[in-house]
Amino acid sequence: MELKYSTIEGKSKGYKTLVVILGIMVAMFIFSFLISYLKGQKVWGISNMIPWGQLITFYIYFIGLSAGAIIISSLSYVFKKETFEPIGRMAVFMGILLMVGAMFFVLVDLGRPEKAWRLFMYFYFNNMSSMFAINSIFYTGYIILMLIYLWLIFEGNKKLAAIVGTIDVLWAIAVHMGTGAIFGLIGNREIFFSPIKPFEFLLAALTSGTSLIIITAAATFKFTSRMIEEELIFSLSKILKIIILILLIMVFVDKLTHIYFPNRDATLYLFTGDYWWLFWVFQIGLGIVLPLILLSYSKTKRTKKGVIISALSVVIGVFGERAALVIPGTAHPQPFVSAKIEGIWGEPGIFKITLWETLLSLSIVSFIILLFVLGLRFLEILPNQTNEPVSAKTNSIIK
Amino acid sequence: MSRWGMVIDLDKCVGCQACIVACKMENNVPHGSPEEQKLKREVNWHKMITVTKGKYPYVRTELIPMPCMHCDHPPCVTVCPAKATFRRRDGIIVQYYRRCIGCKYCIVACPYGARSFNFTSQEEKPYHRKDEPLDNNSWEPWPFPTRTQGVVEKCTFCFHRIDKGLKKGKKIGTEVVPACVEACPSHARFFGDLDDPKSEVSKLLASRNSFRLREELGTKPKVIYLTR
Amino acid sequence: MKRSKLTRREFLKFSGIAGALIGTSQLKETLTEAMGSTLPQNKKDLDEKWISTSCLNCTSRCAIRVRVLNGKAVSITGNINSKVSEGKVCPRSYIGLQVLYDPDRVKTPLKRTNKEKGRGIDPKWAPISWDQALDEIIRRLSQLRDIGEPHKLLIFYGLNSISTEDLIIRFGEAFGTLNIISQDGFDIETEKAGHWMADGHYTHTAFDLDHTHYILSFGGDLLESSKPLSRFLRKWGKFRRERAIRTKVIVINPRYSLTAAKADEWIPINPGTDGALAMAIAHVIISEELYDKVFIKNFTEGFDTYKKLVLDQYHPKNVANITGIDQETIIRIAREFAITKPAIAIGGKTSIDWPNGSYTSYAIFCLNALVGSIDIPGGVIYQEYPDYKPMPKLIEDEISRKGKLKPFIDLRSTDKFPFAKIVTNQVPESILNDSPYPVDIAIGFNSNFNMIAPNPERWDKALKKLPYYIHISPFISEMALYADIILPSTTFLEEWGYDHSPPGSGFAEIRIKQPVVSPFGESRSTADIIFEIAKRLKGGVMKSFINIGDNSKGFVKYRTETLINWKDFLEKGVWIGKSYEYKKYDRIFHTPSRKFEFSSGNLKHLIAKMSKGKADNINLLPHYQEVKFLGTKEKYPFILLPYQPLMVIENGSQNYPWAQEVFLPMCGIGWETLVEINSEVGKDLNIKDGQMVWIESPFQKIKAKVKFSEGIHPCAVAIPWGQGHYSYGKWQKGIGVNPNEIIGVDYDHISGQAAFFNTRVKIYKI
Repeated sequence: MELKYSTIEGKSKGYKTLVVILGIMVAMFIFSFLISYLKGQKVWGISNMIPWGQLITFYIYFIGLSAGAIIISSLSYVFKKETFEPIGRMAVFMGILLMVGAMFFVLVDLGRPEKAWRLFMYFYFNNMSSMFAINSIFYTGYIILMLIYLWLIFEGNKKLAAIVGTIDVLWAIAVHMGTGAIFGLIGNREIFFSPIKPFEFLLAALTSGTSLIIITAAATFKFTSRMIEEELIFSLSKILKIIILILLIMVFVDKLTHIYFPNRDATLYLFTGDYWWLFWVFQIGLGIVLPLILLSYSKTKRTKKGVIISALSVVIGVFGERAALVIPGTAHPQPFVSAKIEGIWGEPGIFKITLWETLLSLSIVSFIILLFVLGLRFLEILPNQTNEPVSAKTNSIIK
Repeated sequence: MSRWGMVIDLDKCVGCQACIVACKMENNVPHGSPEEQKLKREVNWHKMITVTKGKYPYVRTELIPMPCMHCDHPPCVTVCPAKATFRRRDGIIVQYYRRCIGCKYCIVACPYGARSFNFTSQEEKPYHRKDEPLDNNSWEPWPFPTRTQGVVEKCTFCFHRIDKGLKKGKKIGTEVVPACVEACPSHARFFGDLDDPKSEVSKLLASRNSFRLREELGTKPKVIYLTR
Repeated sequence: MKRSKLTRREFLKFSGIAGALIGTSQLKETLTEAMGSTLPQNKKDLDEKWISTSCLNCTSRCAIRVRVLNGKAVSITGNINSKVSEGKVCPRSYIGLQVLYDPDRVKTPLKRTNKEKGRGIDPKWAPISWDQALDEIIRRLSQLRDIGEPHKLLIFYGLNSISTEDLIIRFGEAFGTLNIISQDGFDIETEKAGHWMADGHYTHTAFDLDHTHYILSFGGDLLESSKPLSRFLRKWGKFRRERAIRTKVIVINPRYSLTAAKADEWIPINPGTDGALAMAIAHVIISEELYDKVFIKNFTEGFDTYKKLVLDQYHPKNVANITGIDQETIIRIAREFAITKPAIAIGGKTSIDWPNGSYTSYAIFCLNALVGSIDIPGGVIYQEYPDYKPMPKLIEDEISRKGKLKPFIDLRSTDKFPFAKIVTNQVPESILNDSPYPVDIAIGFNSNFNMIAPNPERWDKALKKLPYYIHISPFISEMALYADIILPSTTFLEEWGYDHSPPGSGFAEIRIKQPVVSPFGESRSTADIIFEIAKRLKGGVMKSFINIGDNSKGFVKYRTETLINWKDFLEKGVWIGKSYEYKKYDRIFHTPSRKFEFSSGNLKHLIAKMSKGKADNINLLPHYQEVKFLGTKEKYPFILLPYQPLMVIENGSQNYPWAQEVFLPMCGIGWETLVEINSEVGKDLNIKDGQMVWIESPFQKIKAKVKFSEGIHPCAVAIPWGQGHYSYGKWQKGIGVNPNEIIGVDYDHISGQAAFFNTRVKIYKI
């Protein structure tokens, strides 16, 4: 069926309050960024032992979400599955915004953000053997592709959109596997070093992306009083389950390899050290075990609530997965020699949750949510109710 | 072309840490504070690790000084996106502060913990040297007087001494050496051209048993330790 | 359509922002470059000077060269002309830059306005002018002389250059007081006494490290706190790998020190039993006839008495139980020591700063004579001293003559310490008891005794009692907190002086001290302060200070110009005496028999002179005596063994980040005091590694972080000296603890040395 799309009216109290709150958070972003820039990154929780903190965690998380969102959108435009059409535009739009958010995170994390243009001097000022440099090519292309993709969708050019969509999906896979390669190719960090990392990242992206789509779709449609087809949610949940299972296999193989001799100290630290809870509670518990249970158990898998809870669990769990990579990965003291190193060079690092870094992260997240809400307001992202005229009246919290 | 390397004789080393202090003095490296050390934010171009083995009374402690290894296959050079760290033709791994964007990828990639990030701007001290660069028009990665906040810094094998010395026709390794080599009171450190069979370092490597740190990673570090 | 316009707008906005960002970054970079280039553009703008002077961060006083750029000292290296350490210096020399530019230095003379004195009490310093300060000081000093009691002036001096020390002593003697108290009583006086008992030299022992082949180190931290340290550091490299024969080093110490880590063998010993070990080694050498028969026959006296004692009482089997070292090891070490020639036995602080330490030092020193290592290449050598031009005779007036007849405040030459040359730690007791007489004025020349003394509480009480105390140092140390007036002196990089190392090189070497930068604030060099005070005091004091140069620079020139041309001295920085002559057996033994004495004739002679018949049961032979500990084993199971890491700056302050960051290299950490305990023992006490604990002695308690170590005897705990400052300084105040605070007061009664290691403690969780 041919769907018609519309904006939200943006007149309701709920909408206005949300915009105001998010606006304040964006102001916080400018403030906390200025503080970090002027005082130096000592106001964050990072150190020479753990050089990447919250911001890089969010960066890889958001890229994952973005790639996942685009791949889900392809179900509608590339694979032409009608069930997924209502969320198609939203998925692509989310893909763009999440990518922009990721870019914000990585640019703000730089010690000298004003030199960020150096990241885009391909082959001239860039060292192309660096995964960062290769990724910056991928990221710019990715954003441009997504913009074209969305524009084509708005134009209604389904055929071209399908072609660009295909390229975009493949490009999204490259983007996120490239992000995984940033970590996977670093030989001296045992927790990072693995050829499976790009695949792990990709699958984590798919699970988190799918889950985010589920949650966003459910929330947005509810608050804008649009009806969402149950079939849509349940198809997504089935896809989610399969991907989580594959992710489980990836994680298992990766960790099993690392537990074998030699070089298992860092992985043991991941399992039993200061940050064991990031791995066991978040990555495994919330990210894999709980959703699998919820999506397999007959009572919960057929309710919308059960699916949404499992999606929420995955979203939090995959964030924990990113953190379980970035922080314990560098917290483990490097074995310069294979004996006990005394003092500061032999003990694991501690990452502190600090005010400015947290504010910075949360404010960038709010900024992206704000852009999303504004996008809903000014762009025709959401579909109209099927069989109902454009302006719906009654029972709407947000119009 | 010379390939500069350093040899540290752990048998002669007396663990005095003169190398560490002399490096700070030579290169205006900022000192830390108790908080910074706890949080592991101190800037250390040269450090010393203490390794213990055994149980009382059969105990053994090794004190190993660790500057930047100036690897021949440097992982930090591979991962720097902005070409801010690169290998000079003479083997010294240079950090170009102008280009450094502070992404900290090199700190993650360095297997020896040789790199430090500037988490805050460096205080200027009255005893900081304010030397001029070799050539006022050059875009050399000149590290003086200090580096700005937000960039990564590390040991430079005192290339400023080497370049100046070469220009004046001095012999590197005997007349001109990095500050840590000069400071070592027990003459436990040597510097020179690893590719020159007649240099002191080559002769030492030929005469004694030596090892490098984390050799299995294949970084080919050019700081080599003679065993006790 | 609406969305397209927005997209275009968005795009324009985006590119606008991007452009602005790039533009700003370029601007910022240009600005940074511009600000960065406050550095001069041409070589001509850089005023560069290299000045030869010498360091004073410990008593080694090594020759250094300082690079001065545009009037600021930026770099320090060793002086290649110095032969004592072959131009090398230890890392503390470089820290001289932080000593010079210590942000918390005293700028002007200060007067105390808060009458109350005590730890934690703010003196409420008020800045005054030099004239005001000196006027007040002169008034008080003159008053004391006028009433004929110059002996009630008590002079403390800590670490000062030798030239300043010469002036301090001359000042005291001209003034009329012999109460000139150095910090030697906290150092290693027992070594001097042991040396003197054998051969009449009341000095530290010098060793010919260039040629030795075997070093038996009893408790000496050769690579951390021996003197001259730079010499040991350089020669270590030399005798380990730069000669055909490698020197073997054995370290006997209850603690696995850094020296032990670098040595060939570490032998843990029960604390305080080194004397027994030395005698047992002598037993093996004598019983197996491995001793140098020629030397013993021709150049020693009292060998038979010594031999009898050693063979009767010090069989390795018995000593094994005392020392905790098994018999086989004792025999093996003794044989190695005797057979590997030349060999030296060195007695260090941990072995001899005990009650009865002089005899332990004597016992260790005798081992050298047993194997003939006296005044030979590779053995004990006798330090030559520079022949400074002698100062004109002291002008003593009646007042000062009378003052110098009074008994010493530190009770040396009394029944309590009949043979000691200085008993620094006795002084607080004398002050508190007003005996032999009350003290009226005290001057502290860069002293910080209430930090380095055992039981500083007593010093605090005594300092509080002093009616008038003048303190002269560049910063407000813990002792200065009790001052009534503080005079800011210059650091060693801003003053004139001459220095020579403690015994070590054999040949004499003088180092110059000349200012490399102009003095900070209104500080003046201590030497100039003394000249000024002497000038204003008039009388005999003033007269003793004329014709010796009139000021610090003049004084240095006066004293050294007979040895070296002044201009050469300024440039070269050192003067080196004639090369060392060995085997001076005809004149090197200053004993009644003119030979090396195993039974101390010097001691016998001195007893006869002093006690006039009493005390003839004083032992004349080296021997071991069981230590009486302060505290019972049941209540206080551990023996406290403090130690000095290399990074302790001995000038009384530790406010130097370069030293603090790397303070404990054996533990890989800085900015901290750790109490090291044997890991098994720690586990038995139910303590966790890294936990804060109380360390309590019968006298006081302190708290510190515990560290489990494999390198410490199970019956001992080790705490480093150097931290626990509380008077000033961002980089030292409130950091760590001072182990001296819980150590009790005890002495080696022969030398007056304060005993540091016989206090027992207990450890428990907080």
